[in-house]
Amino acid sequence: MTSMPEPAAVPDPNAPSGMLESDLVKRARHGDLVAYDELVRRYQQRIYATLYHMTANHEDANDLAQEAFIKAYSALKSFKGGSTFYTWVYRIAVNKTINFLKQRKNKFHLSLNDIDFNAEHDPDLMALISHKTPTRDVALNELQKKLNEALLKLSEPHRMVVVLHDVQGQSHEEIAEILGCNIGTVRSRLFYARQQLQGYLAEYIKA
Amino acid sequence: MKENEQNFDELKKLLKLKQHEIPPPGYFNNFSGKVVARIRAGEAANRGSAYEQVETHSPWLARFIAIFEIKPSVIGAFATGLCLLFALGVALTAKDGAGTNGLMAETQDPAAPAMSLASASITAPLLADGGGGIQISTNPVSLQPMANTFGQANPLFQPASFGH
Repeated sequence: MTSMPEPAAVPDPNAPSGMLESDLVKRARHGDLVAYDELVRRYQQRIYATLYHMTANHEDANDLAQEAFIKAYSALKSFKGGSTFYTWVYRIAVNKTINFLKQRKNKFHLSLNDIDFNAEHDPDLMALISHKTPTRDVALNELQKKLNEALLKLSEPHRMVVVLHDVQGQSHEEIAEILGCNIGTVRSRLFYARQQLQGYLAEYIKA
Repeated sequence: MKENEQNFDELKKLLKLKQHEIPPPGYFNNFSGKVVARIRAGEAANRGSAYEQVETHSPWLARFIAIFEIKPSVIGAFATGLCLLFALGVALTAKDGAGTNGLMAETQDPAAPAMSLASASITAPLLADGGGGIQISTNPVSLQPMANTFGQANPLFQPASFGH
């Protein structure tokens, strides 16, 4: 007598979580919201994080991320597949955010997320703040505020490049594709933005 | 340059703090659900809307509009193109108008510089009566305003008589 395999151990190829991105896009284009739900799940964290680092405001990032995914769904029929869905939706989110920030201008307030527990065990961060104040969490919160304020002083294109490269860890090529510019522009923007940030955060950076 | 890179390394260490900023617990658990719920609500609200009809009847137009939504810079390019087209049209019209006026000036008889369209319409029937030429105007009523305008009796116009 042969034993039946455990159902949980066999991945279902028809389940949205096991499907390829291109198949999910195809199904979503025909109105399959279950497939689109899976696409949102795959990229929600990265999209949200980028928008949060750009706006320094959780509520704004939440609204913009939702709107970006909604707009992407409504424009899905025009998606030709020239790039990945991920790059395409990223581009929509980035454009939406830059337009939003232009309208917002100086009318903003910080609504920062909490810092996770691991930050207090990061030797690099601890090395930066250990000599500032005796209480680590207070020092971290102060550093977080200063860092976000410094980022907000950068222009949107420069901030976007720093966020995508130095915070999100994306490559120059990916950033160029998302922003629709060449790699040289990405590099020069990154260099200029880092120089600016270095000036704003001089007190925290060892000479 | 080396010094700059080292300084950027310090900056990169500082920027690592951004990676430790996290949204409230459980935030991503229902994020996609909210997106899908908003899509469903939007579909229900927009059913039968103008855009929906455009999408159904003219998918090419819907795709054209969608390009603007994805790439806002295309809107600027499209608007600039339209403005240039309009300016070109105005310029060509102005040029054509100037050319026509010049042509009219050249074809005018130098002996009768003040000849107007009205006088032409008066002389045309006379020419037609005299020599069987081409009659330009067949509407005698059009002559009446001339008499009223200048307060003179028109020699071609005979008042109606109701007497028997």
